[in-house]
Amino acid sequence: MDRAFKARLEARFGDRLTSAVHQRHDETEMRIGAGDVVAVLTALHDEPEFRFEFLADLAGVDTGTVMQVVYHLWSDTTTDWLRVIADGLPRDDPRVPSATFLWKGAEWMEREAYDMFGITFEGNRDLRRIYMPPDYTSFPLRKDFYLADDAARSPGAGVRPMERTQAPSNAPATALVRRGGT
Amino acid sequence: MTATTDHPHPHRHYEETSADDPRVVLDREIGVFEPVPPYPPRTEREAEFYTLGDGEMLLNMGPQHPSTHGVLRVVLKLDGEKVVDLDPVLGYLHRGVEKLCENADYHQAICYLDPLEYVSSLFCEWPGVMAFEKLLDVDVPRRAEYIRVLSGELNRIASHALFLGWMALDLGGLTPILWSFIERDEIVDMLSALTGQRMLFNYFRIGGVNGDLNHEFMSRLGDWMSRATEQIEAGNTLLNENEIFVRRMRGLGTIDSTTALRMVMTGPNLRATGVPFDVRRAHPYSVYPELDFDIPTRDEGDCLARYLLRMDEIRQSLRIIDQCLHQMPDGPIMAKLPRLLRPRPGRAYAGIEGPRGQYAAYVVSDGTDQPFRMRIHDPSFIHLQAVGVMMPGHLIADTMAVMASLDPIMGGVDK
Repeated sequence: MDRAFKARLEARFGDRLTSAVHQRHDETEMRIGAGDVVAVLTALHDEPEFRFEFLADLAGVDTGTVMQVVYHLWSDTTTDWLRVIADGLPRDDPRVPSATFLWKGAEWMEREAYDMFGITFEGNRDLRRIYMPPDYTSFPLRKDFYLADDAARSPGAGVRPMERTQAPSNAPATALVRRGGT
Repeated sequence: MTATTDHPHPHRHYEETSADDPRVVLDREIGVFEPVPPYPPRTEREAEFYTLGDGEMLLNMGPQHPSTHGVLRVVLKLDGEKVVDLDPVLGYLHRGVEKLCENADYHQAICYLDPLEYVSSLFCEWPGVMAFEKLLDVDVPRRAEYIRVLSGELNRIASHALFLGWMALDLGGLTPILWSFIERDEIVDMLSALTGQRMLFNYFRIGGVNGDLNHEFMSRLGDWMSRATEQIEAGNTLLNENEIFVRRMRGLGTIDSTTALRMVMTGPNLRATGVPFDVRRAHPYSVYPELDFDIPTRDEGDCLARYLLRMDEIRQSLRIIDQCLHQMPDGPIMAKLPRLLRPRPGRAYAGIEGPRGQYAAYVVSDGTDQPFRMRIHDPSFIHLQAVGVMMPGHLIADTMAVMASLDPIMGGVDK
Protein backbone atom coordinates (compact mmCIF):
# COMPACT_ATOMS: atom_id res chain seq x y z
CA MET A 1 0.00 0.00 0.00
CA ASP A 2 1.53 3.27 -1.16
CA ARG A 3 0.36 6.00 1.27
CA ALA A 4 2.39 8.72 -0.41
CA PHE A 5 0.71 7.92 -3.71
CA LYS A 6 -2.69 8.46 -2.13
CA ALA A 7 -1.59 11.90 -0.98
CA ARG A 8 -0.27 12.72 -4.45
CA LEU A 9 -3.55 11.70 -6.07
CA GLU A 10 -5.58 13.72 -3.59
CA ALA A 11 -3.42 16.78 -4.09
CA ARG A 12 -3.65 16.59 -7.88
CA PHE A 13 -7.24 15.46 -8.45
CA GLY A 14 -8.89 16.59 -5.19
CA ASP A 15 -11.67 18.55 -6.88
CA ARG A 16 -12.47 15.80 -9.38
CA LEU A 17 -12.80 12.90 -6.94
CA THR A 18 -16.38 11.89 -6.18
CA SER A 19 -15.34 9.98 -3.04
CA ALA A 20 -12.22 9.47 -0.95
CA VAL A 21 -9.24 7.61 -2.42
CA HIS A 22 -9.47 4.05 -1.11
CA GLN A 23 -6.52 1.71 -0.58
CA ARG A 24 -6.48 -2.01 0.10
CA HIS A 25 -3.71 -4.58 -0.38
CA ASP A 26 -1.72 -3.40 -3.42
CA GLU A 27 -4.50 -1.37 -4.99
CA THR A 28 -5.38 2.30 -4.94
CA GLU A 29 -8.85 3.24 -6.04
CA MET A 30 -10.19 6.62 -7.12
CA ARG A 31 -13.68 7.48 -8.29
CA ILE A 32 -14.48 10.20 -10.79
CA GLY A 33 -17.47 11.31 -12.80
CA ALA A 34 -17.88 10.36 -16.46
CA GLY A 35 -17.23 13.97 -17.50
CA ASP A 36 -13.72 13.94 -15.99
CA VAL A 37 -12.48 10.76 -17.63
CA VAL A 38 -10.56 12.45 -20.45
CA ALA A 39 -8.90 15.02 -18.20
CA VAL A 40 -7.94 12.53 -15.49
CA LEU A 41 -6.66 9.79 -17.81
CA THR A 42 -4.65 12.31 -19.85
CA ALA A 43 -3.11 13.76 -16.70
CA LEU A 44 -2.26 10.31 -15.35
CA HIS A 45 -0.76 9.27 -18.66
CA ASP A 46 1.19 12.41 -19.53
CA GLU A 47 2.35 14.03 -16.31
CA PRO A 48 5.88 12.99 -15.33
CA GLU A 49 4.96 12.50 -11.68
CA PHE A 50 2.39 9.81 -12.63
CA ARG A 51 3.46 8.27 -16.00
CA PHE A 52 0.66 5.69 -16.18
CA GLU A 53 1.58 4.48 -19.64
CA PHE A 54 0.16 1.02 -19.35
CA LEU A 55 -3.56 0.29 -19.36
CA ALA A 56 -3.82 -3.03 -17.57
CA ASP A 57 -7.56 -3.51 -17.97
CA LEU A 58 -10.79 -1.79 -18.94
CA ALA A 59 -14.06 -3.26 -17.75
CA GLY A 60 -17.71 -2.38 -17.45
CA VAL A 61 -19.58 -3.05 -14.21
CA ASP A 62 -23.31 -3.02 -13.55
CA THR A 63 -23.95 -2.43 -9.85
CA GLY A 64 -27.69 -2.89 -10.24
CA THR A 65 -28.34 0.82 -9.72
CA VAL A 66 -25.65 2.51 -11.82
CA MET A 67 -23.10 1.55 -14.44
CA GLN A 68 -19.35 1.96 -13.99
CA VAL A 69 -16.35 1.80 -16.28
CA VAL A 70 -13.27 0.57 -14.44
CA TYR A 71 -9.73 1.30 -15.66
CA HIS A 72 -6.71 -0.40 -14.15
CA LEU A 73 -3.42 1.36 -14.74
CA TRP A 74 0.22 0.56 -14.04
CA SER A 75 3.13 2.93 -13.61
CA ASP A 76 6.69 2.66 -12.34
CA THR A 77 6.08 5.66 -10.05
CA THR A 78 4.08 3.59 -7.57
CA THR A 79 4.00 0.01 -6.31
CA ASP A 80 0.20 -0.12 -6.49
CA TRP A 81 -2.25 -0.90 -9.24
CA LEU A 82 -4.33 2.20 -9.81
CA ARG A 83 -8.03 1.66 -10.27
CA VAL A 84 -9.96 4.55 -11.77
CA ILE A 85 -13.71 4.10 -11.58
CA ALA A 86 -15.89 6.28 -13.78
CA ASP A 87 -18.89 6.07 -11.51
CA GLY A 88 -22.58 6.87 -11.61
CA LEU A 89 -23.42 6.31 -15.29
CA PRO A 90 -27.20 6.11 -15.68
CA ARG A 91 -28.37 2.58 -16.47
CA ASP A 92 -30.76 3.61 -19.24
CA ASP A 93 -28.12 5.44 -21.27
CA PRO A 94 -24.59 4.95 -19.96
CA ARG A 95 -22.09 7.13 -21.82
CA VAL A 96 -18.42 7.67 -21.22
CA PRO A 97 -15.63 9.11 -23.38
CA SER A 98 -13.46 6.55 -25.12
CA ALA A 99 -9.89 5.90 -23.96
CA THR A 100 -8.73 5.09 -27.49
CA PHE A 101 -7.11 8.52 -27.87
CA LEU A 102 -4.46 7.35 -25.37
CA TRP A 103 -4.51 3.59 -25.87
CA LYS A 104 -5.61 2.39 -29.28
CA GLY A 105 -5.72 -1.10 -27.80
CA ALA A 106 -8.64 -0.13 -25.56
CA GLU A 107 -10.85 -0.32 -28.64
CA TRP A 108 -11.74 -3.99 -28.33
CA MET A 109 -12.14 -3.84 -24.56
CA GLU A 110 -14.61 -1.01 -25.07
CA ARG A 111 -16.39 -3.01 -27.75
CA GLU A 112 -16.68 -5.82 -25.24
CA ALA A 113 -18.07 -3.50 -22.55
CA TYR A 114 -20.56 -2.19 -25.10
CA ASP A 115 -21.53 -5.70 -26.12
CA MET A 116 -22.01 -6.92 -22.56
CA PHE A 117 -23.39 -3.81 -20.82
CA GLY A 118 -24.55 -1.43 -23.52
CA ILE A 119 -22.12 1.28 -22.41
CA THR A 120 -21.52 3.80 -25.21
CA PHE A 121 -17.94 4.96 -25.54
CA GLU A 122 -18.00 8.30 -27.31
CA GLY A 123 -15.11 8.61 -29.72
CA ASN A 124 -14.56 4.89 -30.30
CA ARG A 125 -14.55 4.46 -34.08
CA ASP A 126 -15.64 0.85 -34.06
CA LEU A 127 -18.27 0.47 -31.35
CA ARG A 128 -20.13 -2.61 -32.54
CA ARG A 129 -20.80 -5.95 -30.92
CA ILE A 130 -17.77 -8.18 -30.65
CA TYR A 131 -18.95 -11.51 -29.21
CA MET A 132 -22.70 -11.60 -29.66
CA PRO A 133 -24.25 -11.70 -33.15
CA PRO A 134 -25.06 -8.32 -34.72
CA ASP A 135 -28.82 -8.84 -34.53
CA TYR A 136 -28.71 -9.57 -30.79
CA THR A 137 -30.63 -7.02 -28.75
CA SER A 138 -29.86 -7.50 -25.06
CA PHE A 139 -26.79 -6.97 -22.92
CA PRO A 140 -25.98 -10.26 -21.20
CA LEU A 141 -23.85 -9.13 -18.26
CA ARG A 142 -26.38 -6.59 -17.02
CA LYS A 143 -27.89 -7.57 -13.71
CA ASP A 144 -31.41 -7.54 -15.10
CA PHE A 145 -30.51 -10.12 -17.73
CA TYR A 146 -32.20 -13.27 -16.46
CA LEU A 147 -30.14 -16.41 -17.03
CA ALA A 148 -32.93 -18.52 -18.40
CA ASP A 149 -31.18 -21.82 -18.87
CA ASP A 150 -32.76 -25.20 -19.13
CA ALA A 151 -31.45 -26.36 -15.78
CA ALA A 152 -33.63 -23.75 -14.14
CA ARG A 153 -36.73 -25.67 -15.17
CA SER A 154 -35.45 -29.08 -14.08
CA PRO A 155 -36.74 -30.97 -11.01
CA GLY A 156 -33.48 -30.12 -9.26
CA ALA A 157 -34.08 -26.42 -9.71
CA GLY A 158 -32.93 -24.38 -6.75
CA VAL A 159 -30.71 -27.10 -5.35
CA ARG A 160 -27.44 -25.72 -6.67
CA PRO A 161 -26.64 -22.04 -7.20
CA MET A 162 -26.48 -22.42 -10.98
CA GLU A 163 -30.01 -23.73 -11.00
CA ARG A 164 -31.62 -21.09 -8.88
CA THR A 165 -34.85 -19.99 -10.37
CA GLN A 166 -35.61 -16.72 -8.66
CA ALA A 167 -35.53 -14.04 -11.30
CA PRO A 168 -34.32 -10.56 -10.38
CA SER A 169 -37.10 -8.26 -9.24
CA ASN A 170 -36.85 -6.20 -12.40
CA ALA A 171 -36.71 -9.16 -14.80
CA PRO A 172 -39.12 -9.05 -17.75
CA ALA A 173 -42.44 -10.78 -17.17
CA THR A 174 -41.64 -13.48 -19.73
CA ALA A 175 -38.78 -14.70 -17.57
CA LEU A 176 -41.17 -15.39 -14.71
CA VAL A 177 -43.61 -17.22 -16.96
CA ARG A 178 -40.90 -19.58 -18.17
CA ARG A 179 -40.32 -20.76 -14.65
CA GLY A 180 -43.61 -22.64 -14.76
CA GLY A 181 -42.18 -25.04 -17.30
CA THR A 182 -43.89 -23.74 -20.40
CA MET B 1 -14.20 -13.02 -56.96
CA THR B 2 -13.72 -9.54 -58.31
CA ALA B 3 -15.38 -6.27 -57.53
CA THR B 4 -16.53 -3.97 -60.27
CA THR B 5 -17.96 -0.57 -59.64
CA ASP B 6 -20.63 -0.80 -62.36
CA HIS B 7 -22.29 -3.80 -60.79
CA PRO B 8 -25.83 -3.15 -59.41
CA HIS B 9 -24.79 -4.45 -55.95
CA PRO B 10 -21.10 -3.58 -55.76
CA HIS B 11 -20.85 -4.31 -52.04
CA ARG B 12 -22.56 -7.66 -52.11
CA HIS B 13 -20.85 -10.93 -52.62
CA TYR B 14 -21.30 -12.43 -56.04
CA GLU B 15 -19.70 -15.12 -57.98
CA GLU B 16 -18.69 -15.48 -61.57
CA THR B 17 -20.45 -18.28 -63.34
CA SER B 18 -18.09 -18.12 -66.24
CA ALA B 19 -14.45 -17.26 -66.22
CA ASP B 20 -14.70 -16.10 -69.81
CA ASP B 21 -17.48 -13.62 -69.27
CA PRO B 22 -17.09 -11.75 -66.00
CA ARG B 23 -20.31 -9.81 -66.57
CA VAL B 24 -22.44 -12.90 -65.97
CA VAL B 25 -22.88 -12.87 -62.22
CA LEU B 26 -25.08 -14.64 -59.75
CA ASP B 27 -26.55 -12.62 -56.91
CA ARG B 28 -26.89 -15.12 -54.12
CA GLU B 29 -28.56 -15.15 -50.75
CA ILE B 30 -26.13 -13.98 -48.09
CA GLY B 31 -24.91 -16.94 -46.09
CA VAL B 32 -23.46 -17.11 -42.60
CA PHE B 33 -19.86 -16.82 -43.63
CA GLU B 34 -20.14 -14.27 -46.42
CA PRO B 35 -17.47 -11.62 -46.01
CA VAL B 36 -19.82 -8.66 -46.40
CA PRO B 37 -22.37 -8.39 -43.58
CA PRO B 38 -26.01 -8.39 -44.76
CA TYR B 39 -26.85 -5.09 -43.09
CA PRO B 40 -25.74 -1.49 -43.45
CA PRO B 41 -22.49 -0.58 -41.66
CA ARG B 42 -22.96 0.34 -38.01
CA THR B 43 -19.75 2.24 -37.37
CA GLU B 44 -17.37 4.55 -39.13
CA ARG B 45 -14.68 1.90 -39.19
CA GLU B 46 -17.00 -0.81 -40.54
CA ALA B 47 -18.17 1.49 -43.34
CA GLU B 48 -14.56 2.26 -44.21
CA PHE B 49 -13.52 -1.36 -44.18
CA TYR B 50 -16.38 -2.73 -46.27
CA THR B 51 -16.11 -0.03 -48.94
CA LEU B 52 -13.84 -1.38 -51.60
CA GLY B 53 -11.34 0.78 -53.43
CA ASP B 54 -10.15 0.23 -56.94
CA GLY B 55 -8.92 -3.32 -57.49
CA GLU B 56 -9.62 -4.41 -53.91
CA MET B 57 -11.49 -7.51 -52.84
CA LEU B 58 -12.59 -9.19 -49.65
CA LEU B 59 -11.60 -12.69 -48.66
CA ASN B 60 -12.76 -14.74 -45.70
CA MET B 61 -10.17 -16.65 -43.74
CA GLY B 62 -11.86 -19.02 -41.36
CA PRO B 63 -13.74 -19.80 -39.22
CA GLN B 64 -12.54 -23.34 -39.87
CA HIS B 65 -9.02 -22.46 -40.82
CA PRO B 66 -6.18 -24.58 -39.54
CA SER B 67 -3.90 -21.63 -38.90
CA THR B 68 -6.18 -19.60 -36.72
CA HIS B 69 -5.55 -21.67 -33.59
CA GLY B 70 -9.23 -21.99 -32.90
CA VAL B 71 -12.44 -20.76 -34.41
CA LEU B 72 -11.67 -17.32 -35.74
CA ARG B 73 -12.81 -15.60 -38.89
CA VAL B 74 -10.67 -12.89 -40.39
CA VAL B 75 -12.00 -10.83 -43.27
CA LEU B 76 -9.05 -9.73 -45.36
CA LYS B 77 -9.17 -6.77 -47.68
CA LEU B 78 -6.79 -7.55 -50.48
CA ASP B 79 -5.16 -5.69 -53.27
CA GLY B 80 -3.77 -8.46 -55.42
CA GLU B 81 -1.85 -10.59 -52.96
CA LYS B 82 -1.22 -7.72 -50.54
CA VAL B 83 -3.29 -7.31 -47.40
CA VAL B 84 -4.67 -3.77 -47.21
CA ASP B 85 -6.66 -4.15 -44.02
CA LEU B 86 -8.29 -6.85 -41.95
CA ASP B 87 -11.28 -7.25 -39.71
CA PRO B 88 -11.26 -10.15 -37.23
CA VAL B 89 -14.74 -11.46 -36.43
CA LEU B 90 -14.93 -13.02 -32.97
CA GLY B 91 -17.53 -14.81 -30.95
CA TYR B 92 -17.55 -18.31 -32.41
CA LEU B 93 -16.20 -19.70 -29.13
CA HIS B 94 -17.93 -17.29 -26.77
CA ARG B 95 -19.20 -19.16 -23.71
CA GLY B 96 -19.90 -16.28 -21.36
CA VAL B 97 -17.37 -17.36 -18.74
CA GLU B 98 -17.80 -14.12 -16.80
CA LYS B 99 -21.53 -14.68 -16.48
CA LEU B 100 -20.99 -18.32 -15.51
CA CYS B 101 -18.58 -17.24 -12.76
CA GLU B 102 -21.09 -14.74 -11.46
CA ASN B 103 -23.59 -17.57 -11.09
CA ALA B 104 -21.24 -19.97 -9.32
CA ASP B 105 -19.78 -19.72 -5.85
CA TYR B 106 -16.15 -18.80 -5.26
CA HIS B 107 -14.84 -22.38 -5.33
CA GLN B 108 -16.86 -23.36 -8.37
CA ALA B 109 -15.80 -20.29 -10.34
CA ILE B 110 -12.21 -21.56 -10.54
CA CYS B 111 -13.10 -24.47 -12.80
CA TYR B 112 -14.60 -22.10 -15.37
CA LEU B 113 -11.26 -20.31 -15.67
CA ASP B 114 -9.25 -23.32 -16.83
CA PRO B 115 -10.60 -23.71 -20.36
CA LEU B 116 -9.95 -20.07 -21.21
CA GLU B 117 -6.47 -20.74 -22.55
CA TYR B 118 -6.31 -24.46 -22.63
CA VAL B 119 -2.57 -24.66 -23.26
CA SER B 120 -1.74 -22.61 -20.16
CA SER B 121 -4.58 -23.41 -17.79
CA LEU B 122 -2.69 -22.71 -14.60
CA PHE B 123 -2.17 -19.11 -15.63
CA CYS B 124 -5.87 -18.65 -16.19
CA GLU B 125 -6.69 -19.91 -12.71
CA TRP B 126 -3.99 -17.92 -11.01
CA PRO B 127 -5.33 -14.34 -11.26
CA GLY B 128 -8.84 -15.45 -10.31
CA VAL B 129 -7.61 -17.31 -7.26
CA MET B 130 -5.34 -14.41 -6.31
CA ALA B 131 -8.19 -11.93 -6.55
CA PHE B 132 -10.42 -14.12 -4.37
CA GLU B 133 -7.63 -14.40 -1.81
CA LYS B 134 -7.28 -10.64 -1.73
CA LEU B 135 -11.02 -10.26 -1.12
CA LEU B 136 -10.84 -12.76 1.74
CA ASP B 137 -7.52 -11.44 3.16
CA VAL B 138 -6.05 -14.94 3.08
CA ASP B 139 -2.35 -15.53 3.53
CA VAL B 140 -1.22 -18.37 1.29
CA PRO B 141 1.38 -20.71 2.85
CA ARG B 142 4.84 -20.30 1.36
CA ARG B 143 5.06 -23.91 0.28
CA ALA B 144 1.84 -23.49 -1.68
CA GLU B 145 3.26 -20.39 -3.36
CA TYR B 146 6.41 -22.26 -4.32
CA ILE B 147 4.37 -25.13 -5.74
CA ARG B 148 2.32 -22.62 -7.72
CA VAL B 149 5.43 -21.03 -9.18
CA LEU B 150 6.97 -24.42 -9.92
CA SER B 151 3.92 -25.79 -11.71
CA GLY B 152 3.30 -22.46 -13.39
CA GLU B 153 6.78 -22.29 -14.88
CA LEU B 154 6.44 -25.87 -16.12
CA ASN B 155 3.19 -24.85 -17.76
CA ARG B 156 4.92 -21.85 -19.29
CA ILE B 157 7.54 -24.09 -20.89
CA ALA B 158 4.84 -26.43 -22.19
CA SER B 159 2.98 -23.49 -23.69
CA HIS B 160 6.08 -21.96 -25.28
CA ALA B 161 7.19 -25.35 -26.62
CA LEU B 162 3.85 -25.73 -28.33
CA PHE B 163 4.14 -22.19 -29.66
CA LEU B 164 7.48 -22.96 -31.30
CA GLY B 165 5.98 -25.98 -33.02
CA TRP B 166 2.85 -24.17 -34.14
CA MET B 167 4.84 -21.29 -35.44
CA ALA B 168 6.81 -23.59 -37.75
CA LEU B 169 3.68 -25.51 -38.68
CA ASP B 170 1.98 -22.33 -39.83
CA LEU B 171 4.95 -21.66 -42.06
CA GLY B 172 4.73 -25.13 -43.53
CA GLY B 173 7.34 -26.99 -41.48
CA LEU B 174 6.03 -30.24 -40.06
CA THR B 175 9.02 -31.50 -38.07
CA PRO B 176 9.28 -28.98 -35.20
CA ILE B 177 5.77 -29.62 -33.94
CA LEU B 178 6.59 -33.28 -33.47
CA TRP B 179 9.61 -32.30 -31.40
CA SER B 180 7.73 -29.79 -29.35
CA PHE B 181 4.94 -32.24 -28.67
CA ILE B 182 7.52 -34.60 -27.17
CA GLU B 183 8.56 -31.76 -24.86
CA ARG B 184 5.02 -30.78 -24.05
CA ASP B 185 3.94 -34.36 -23.47
CA GLU B 186 6.63 -34.94 -20.87
CA ILE B 187 5.57 -31.81 -18.97
CA VAL B 188 1.91 -32.62 -19.30
CA ASP B 189 2.57 -36.10 -17.89
CA MET B 190 4.33 -34.52 -14.93
CA LEU B 191 1.52 -32.08 -14.30
CA SER B 192 -1.01 -34.85 -14.67
CA ALA B 193 0.81 -36.76 -11.91
CA LEU B 194 0.64 -33.60 -9.77
CA THR B 195 -2.87 -32.40 -10.53
CA GLY B 196 -4.72 -35.41 -11.89
CA GLN B 197 -5.52 -33.79 -15.23
CA ARG B 198 -3.62 -33.43 -18.45
CA MET B 199 -5.02 -30.19 -19.80
CA LEU B 200 -7.51 -28.45 -17.54
CA PHE B 201 -5.60 -28.85 -14.33
CA ASN B 202 -8.00 -27.13 -11.90
CA TYR B 203 -5.19 -27.28 -9.37
CA PHE B 204 -5.10 -23.95 -7.58
CA ARG B 205 -7.47 -23.46 -4.68
CA ILE B 206 -8.39 -20.37 -2.73
CA GLY B 207 -5.67 -20.33 -0.07
CA GLY B 208 -3.32 -22.87 -1.62
CA VAL B 209 -3.16 -25.78 -4.02
CA ASN B 210 -5.10 -29.00 -4.33
CA GLY B 211 -2.38 -31.54 -3.62
CA ASP B 212 1.17 -31.75 -2.38
CA LEU B 213 4.16 -32.74 -4.49
CA ASN B 214 4.20 -36.50 -4.92
CA HIS B 215 6.77 -39.09 -5.76
CA GLU B 216 5.75 -39.64 -9.36
CA PHE B 217 5.84 -35.93 -10.15
CA MET B 218 9.21 -35.44 -8.52
CA SER B 219 10.83 -38.40 -10.19
CA ARG B 220 9.50 -37.42 -13.63
CA LEU B 221 10.62 -33.83 -13.06
CA GLY B 222 14.09 -34.84 -11.90
CA ASP B 223 14.46 -37.13 -14.86
CA TRP B 224 13.37 -34.42 -17.29
CA MET B 225 15.40 -31.62 -15.70
CA SER B 226 18.61 -33.59 -16.18
CA ARG B 227 18.20 -33.48 -19.96
CA ALA B 228 15.75 -30.61 -20.51
CA THR B 229 18.26 -27.95 -21.50
CA GLU B 230 19.99 -30.24 -23.96
CA GLN B 231 16.73 -31.48 -25.44
CA ILE B 232 15.26 -28.00 -25.87
CA GLU B 233 18.42 -26.62 -27.45
CA ALA B 234 18.52 -29.57 -29.85
CA GLY B 235 14.94 -28.90 -30.89
CA ASN B 236 15.63 -25.22 -31.32
CA THR B 237 18.54 -25.66 -33.70
CA LEU B 238 15.99 -27.16 -36.07
CA LEU B 239 14.58 -23.68 -36.59
CA ASN B 240 17.29 -21.28 -35.41
CA GLU B 241 19.74 -22.52 -37.96
CA ASN B 242 17.20 -22.96 -40.70
CA GLU B 243 17.88 -20.26 -43.22
CA ILE B 244 14.47 -20.43 -44.88
CA PHE B 245 12.73 -19.94 -41.55
CA VAL B 246 14.99 -17.14 -40.33
CA ARG B 247 14.84 -15.16 -43.56
CA ARG B 248 11.10 -15.52 -43.75
CA MET B 249 10.58 -14.30 -40.19
CA ARG B 250 13.04 -11.44 -40.11
CA GLY B 251 11.39 -8.06 -40.62
CA LEU B 252 7.92 -9.58 -40.74
CA GLY B 253 5.10 -8.00 -38.72
CA THR B 254 7.29 -5.34 -37.19
CA ILE B 255 5.88 -3.17 -34.42
CA ASP B 256 7.74 -0.50 -32.44
CA SER B 257 7.62 -0.05 -28.69
CA THR B 258 5.47 3.11 -28.71
CA THR B 259 2.81 1.48 -30.87
CA ALA B 260 2.99 -1.69 -28.80
CA LEU B 261 2.29 0.31 -25.63
CA ARG B 262 -0.56 2.13 -27.34
CA MET B 263 -1.98 -1.24 -28.35
CA VAL B 264 -1.61 -2.22 -24.64
CA MET B 265 0.38 -5.31 -25.59
CA THR B 266 2.16 -7.23 -22.84
CA GLY B 267 4.35 -10.26 -22.36
CA PRO B 268 6.85 -11.58 -24.90
CA ASN B 269 5.23 -9.59 -27.69
CA LEU B 270 5.93 -6.33 -25.87
CA ARG B 271 9.37 -7.38 -24.68
CA ALA B 272 10.31 -8.22 -28.27
CA THR B 273 10.03 -4.49 -28.98
CA GLY B 274 12.51 -3.63 -26.23
CA VAL B 275 10.23 -2.73 -23.31
CA PRO B 276 11.34 -4.75 -20.25
CA PHE B 277 7.84 -4.98 -18.79
CA ASP B 278 7.18 -8.22 -16.93
CA VAL B 279 4.50 -8.32 -14.22
CA ARG B 280 6.70 -10.69 -12.19
CA ARG B 281 9.15 -7.80 -11.73
CA ALA B 282 6.99 -4.74 -12.46
CA HIS B 283 4.38 -5.66 -9.88
CA PRO B 284 5.80 -8.59 -7.91
CA TYR B 285 3.43 -11.27 -6.65
CA SER B 286 3.74 -14.72 -5.09
CA VAL B 287 7.39 -15.63 -4.32
CA TYR B 288 8.93 -14.15 -7.46
CA PRO B 289 10.84 -11.45 -5.48
CA GLU B 290 12.81 -14.29 -3.83
CA LEU B 291 13.82 -15.85 -7.13
CA ASP B 292 16.66 -14.87 -9.38
CA PHE B 293 15.90 -14.63 -13.09
CA ASP B 294 16.38 -12.22 -15.97
CA ILE B 295 13.86 -10.56 -18.20
CA PRO B 296 15.07 -11.09 -21.75
CA THR B 297 14.25 -8.36 -24.26
CA ARG B 298 14.90 -7.85 -27.95
CA ASP B 299 14.72 -4.67 -29.96
CA GLU B 300 13.61 -5.72 -33.44
CA GLY B 301 9.90 -6.20 -32.72
CA ASP B 302 9.45 -8.59 -35.65
CA CYS B 303 8.29 -12.21 -35.80
CA LEU B 304 11.81 -13.56 -35.40
CA ALA B 305 12.36 -11.48 -32.25
CA ARG B 306 9.11 -12.75 -30.77
CA TYR B 307 10.11 -16.30 -31.58
CA LEU B 308 13.63 -16.02 -30.15
CA LEU B 309 12.38 -14.23 -27.06
CA ARG B 310 10.19 -17.15 -26.13
CA MET B 311 13.18 -19.44 -26.34
CA ASP B 312 15.06 -17.15 -23.96
CA GLU B 313 12.08 -17.31 -21.63
CA ILE B 314 12.19 -21.10 -21.60
CA ARG B 315 15.79 -20.89 -20.35
CA GLN B 316 14.75 -18.47 -17.59
CA SER B 317 11.87 -20.73 -16.61
CA LEU B 318 14.28 -23.63 -16.23
CA ARG B 319 16.35 -21.46 -13.88
CA ILE B 320 13.27 -20.64 -11.82
CA ILE B 321 12.25 -24.31 -11.59
CA ASP B 322 15.74 -25.20 -10.43
CA GLN B 323 15.61 -22.57 -7.69
CA CYS B 324 12.11 -23.61 -6.63
CA LEU B 325 13.28 -27.17 -6.14
CA HIS B 326 16.22 -26.03 -4.02
CA GLN B 327 14.29 -23.50 -1.94
CA MET B 328 11.04 -25.43 -1.50
CA PRO B 329 10.03 -24.93 2.14
CA ASP B 330 8.15 -27.44 4.28
CA GLY B 331 4.76 -26.71 5.67
CA PRO B 332 1.08 -26.75 4.85
CA ILE B 333 -0.21 -26.33 1.29
CA MET B 334 -3.59 -24.84 2.19
CA ALA B 335 -4.63 -21.96 4.40
CA LYS B 336 -7.38 -22.72 6.89
CA LEU B 337 -10.61 -21.48 5.41
CA PRO B 338 -14.30 -22.19 5.97
CA ARG B 339 -16.14 -24.25 3.39
CA LEU B 340 -18.53 -21.47 2.50
CA LEU B 341 -16.76 -18.28 1.55
CA ARG B 342 -18.51 -14.98 2.02
CA PRO B 343 -15.98 -12.18 1.53
CA ARG B 344 -16.85 -8.74 2.78
CA PRO B 345 -18.10 -6.35 0.08
CA GLY B 346 -15.13 -4.99 -1.80
CA ARG B 347 -13.14 -5.05 -4.98
CA ALA B 348 -9.91 -6.81 -5.87
CA TYR B 349 -7.66 -6.86 -8.90
CA ALA B 350 -4.90 -9.37 -9.55
CA GLY B 351 -2.56 -9.46 -12.52
CA ILE B 352 0.06 -12.07 -13.30
CA GLU B 353 2.59 -12.73 -16.03
CA GLY B 354 1.63 -15.70 -18.16
CA PRO B 355 3.24 -17.12 -21.28
CA ARG B 356 1.32 -14.64 -23.45
CA GLY B 357 1.32 -11.57 -21.27
CA GLN B 358 -0.70 -10.17 -18.45
CA TYR B 359 -3.58 -12.33 -17.28
CA ALA B 360 -5.79 -10.47 -14.85
CA ALA B 361 -9.02 -10.70 -12.93
CA TYR B 362 -11.13 -8.00 -11.33
CA VAL B 363 -13.65 -9.27 -8.83
CA VAL B 364 -16.40 -7.34 -7.07
CA SER B 365 -17.93 -8.91 -3.99
CA ASP B 366 -21.30 -7.93 -2.57
CA GLY B 367 -21.01 -10.05 0.57
CA THR B 368 -22.72 -13.18 -0.77
CA ASP B 369 -21.09 -16.50 -1.65
CA GLN B 370 -20.94 -15.65 -5.36
CA PRO B 371 -18.80 -13.04 -7.11
CA PHE B 372 -20.98 -10.06 -7.97
CA ARG B 373 -18.82 -9.19 -10.97
CA MET B 374 -15.98 -11.21 -12.36
CA ARG B 375 -13.93 -9.59 -15.08
CA ILE B 376 -11.34 -11.69 -16.87
CA HIS B 377 -8.61 -9.95 -18.82
CA ASP B 378 -6.91 -12.07 -21.40
CA PRO B 379 -3.73 -11.17 -23.31
CA SER B 380 -4.67 -13.12 -26.46
CA PHE B 381 -7.65 -10.83 -26.93
CA ILE B 382 -5.39 -7.79 -26.79
CA HIS B 383 -2.75 -9.21 -29.08
CA LEU B 384 -5.19 -10.31 -31.74
CA GLN B 385 -6.27 -6.74 -32.34
CA ALA B 386 -2.63 -5.76 -32.88
CA VAL B 387 -2.60 -7.99 -35.97
CA GLY B 388 -4.58 -5.23 -37.66
CA VAL B 389 -1.69 -2.83 -37.05
CA MET B 390 1.02 -5.22 -38.18
CA MET B 391 -0.52 -6.76 -41.27
CA PRO B 392 -1.13 -3.96 -43.83
CA GLY B 393 1.43 -4.25 -46.61
CA HIS B 394 2.24 -7.92 -46.09
CA LEU B 395 1.17 -10.87 -48.23
CA ILE B 396 -1.80 -13.14 -47.49
CA ALA B 397 0.48 -16.03 -46.62
CA ASP B 398 2.16 -13.89 -43.96
CA THR B 399 -1.14 -13.39 -42.10
CA MET B 400 -0.74 -16.82 -40.56
CA ALA B 401 2.90 -16.24 -39.71
CA VAL B 402 2.22 -12.92 -37.99
CA MET B 403 -0.77 -14.27 -36.14
CA ALA B 404 1.14 -17.35 -35.01
CA SER B 405 4.02 -15.20 -33.77
CA LEU B 406 1.62 -13.39 -31.42
CA ASP B 407 0.44 -16.76 -30.11
CA PRO B 408 -3.26 -16.07 -29.52
CA ILE B 409 -5.45 -18.84 -28.12
CA MET B 410 -9.04 -18.49 -29.22
CA GLY B 411 -10.42 -19.98 -26.01
CA GLY B 412 -9.05 -16.94 -24.23
CA VAL B 413 -9.96 -14.45 -26.93
CA ASP B 414 -13.60 -15.45 -26.98
CA LYS B 415 -13.98 -16.14 -23.25
